[in-house]
Amino acid sequence: MKKFIRTYLPFASNELKRNMAYKGAFYLFTLCSLFGSFIQYYLWMAIYGSAQGAKLGSLTREEMVVYVFMSYVTSSLTMISVSRELGKDVVKGSVVMNLIKPIDYRLSLIAKGLGTMVYHFMMPGIFVWAGLEFYKWYALGLPVVNIGNLLLYVVSVIFSFFIYVLFDFCFGMIAFFTTYIFGMQMAKDALLSFLTGQLIPLSFFPEIVERLFEFLPFSSMVYTPVMIYLGKYGISELWFVLGRQLVWVVLLYLLGSLLWKQVTRRMIVLGG
Amino acid sequence: MQKLKRYGRLYRVLVSQFLKTILQSRVDFFIGLLGFFFTQIMGIAFLYLVFEQIPDLQGWTLDQLIFIYGFAQIPRGIDHLFTDNIWMVSWWMVIDGDFDRYMLRPMNVFFQVICEKLQPDALGELLVGMILIFLSISKGVLIVDAAHILCFFISVSAGAVIYTSIKLFFATIAFWVKQSGPFLQVAYNLADFAKYPTEIYSKGVRFLITWVIPFAFVAYLPASYFLIEKSALATIGLECLIALIFWIVAYSFFRYGISRYESAGN
Repeated sequence: MKKFIRTYLPFASNELKRNMAYKGAFYLFTLCSLFGSFIQYYLWMAIYGSAQGAKLGSLTREEMVVYVFMSYVTSSLTMISVSRELGKDVVKGSVVMNLIKPIDYRLSLIAKGLGTMVYHFMMPGIFVWAGLEFYKWYALGLPVVNIGNLLLYVVSVIFSFFIYVLFDFCFGMIAFFTTYIFGMQMAKDALLSFLTGQLIPLSFFPEIVERLFEFLPFSSMVYTPVMIYLGKYGISELWFVLGRQLVWVVLLYLLGSLLWKQVTRRMIVLGG
Repeated sequence: MQKLKRYGRLYRVLVSQFLKTILQSRVDFFIGLLGFFFTQIMGIAFLYLVFEQIPDLQGWTLDQLIFIYGFAQIPRGIDHLFTDNIWMVSWWMVIDGDFDRYMLRPMNVFFQVICEKLQPDALGELLVGMILIFLSISKGVLIVDAAHILCFFISVSAGAVIYTSIKLFFATIAFWVKQSGPFLQVAYNLADFAKYPTEIYSKGVRFLITWVIPFAFVAYLPASYFLIEKSALATIGLECLIALIFWIVAYSFFRYGISRYESAGN
């Protein structure tokens, strides 16, 4: 275990340092991605203004504000791409260098992802979160989040991170078959923004579609932790959704190992 | 005249080259198309789901919003198709020193930049835009007559010019800071605000997307001309004026940037 940590910790800490080095660009990108949340915020305010009832898709207006910004925080913490690096390594051929080293390539990518996650937590995660809680307390006159929900949220986010990274690793193996990963990434991001509940809470879908989406691993990436944060689950449901997250972590891990074995067997690299 | 002919011929050569690349990498072409197509379709699905819950959005019906959304894609797609290489200038060309070769050739630099690449991914946006506009026509939410059809073509061209001007302006910053991609990205992403009626935003945001980075003129304002009887001069005319002003500003800035250009390569 100690050796394990000593092997993979440098990947995480280096990634963290690398992120810190390119601060300027990162601030601007953060600003960009926050635009999306603000568009959603204004859109939802207009939507609630035009609605007859106080609740839409089982959320009140105040809960929707929390949903919009917490789904932003959650996705910036959990949806950290490893497929981009995997794709680059495969296309350039440098993936072989990683295969001959005595480390697990996937674990090294996950460790790097963790480094980025820590960075996203510090910037902008914690600021957006604090801003949101302040806004809730100051402008909306609501109590701040209770500590139990917050802790459960943190646990759930950690599961979410693993689900996403393990899924993205499987996805990244497409790079073995096509070199145009940019287009695939676009399509994936678009689909995921829907399936994870980033764009709109899953409770807005017709009942049967909602059931289906909740069954897929994607709802566990964003929707589940945010709903936990909002305190929308009862005790028994809570165990169920957390259990479901754990099941997906295990399943996607196994799937990734299987696929990796298959593709590396038929891989031919020129140069690298 | 002679010069214009020469530029025209060069562009034709480029287009035929471009068609060959599509034929050569068909899978990539379809993947790129699919990527942009999906992104836009999700926005529409969002609107459908929301309108299950509400009758209208501050007086706008679903059909009208879908038209605004679709209409916004057309100028964006046109600009994306023809001037995608501006992104490369802001991200890599200046810092890598690749820009040098444009400076060495006896041709208009801007022409060289945009003629180097056509971006087939843009067809995804154009496709979505077309589908939504035809859907809107079939539902009868639009005013269709000769004047409006003419204005449609004028408006999308002017809109594309606004897009190009904004891109060019922010890419030009690279001549000073070597890499201006992040700035360009921020400005470009503001366009997403224009997919919905500007009335839903707070005053500050509305001011920003109308007068600072004028994306409101690309989509929402001209779209309102086709939806509700508004004077052409106050919508399309204003859009053309804004396009002209921004083009002049961006292009002069670009010319000034070139005159200040220092190679970063070796």
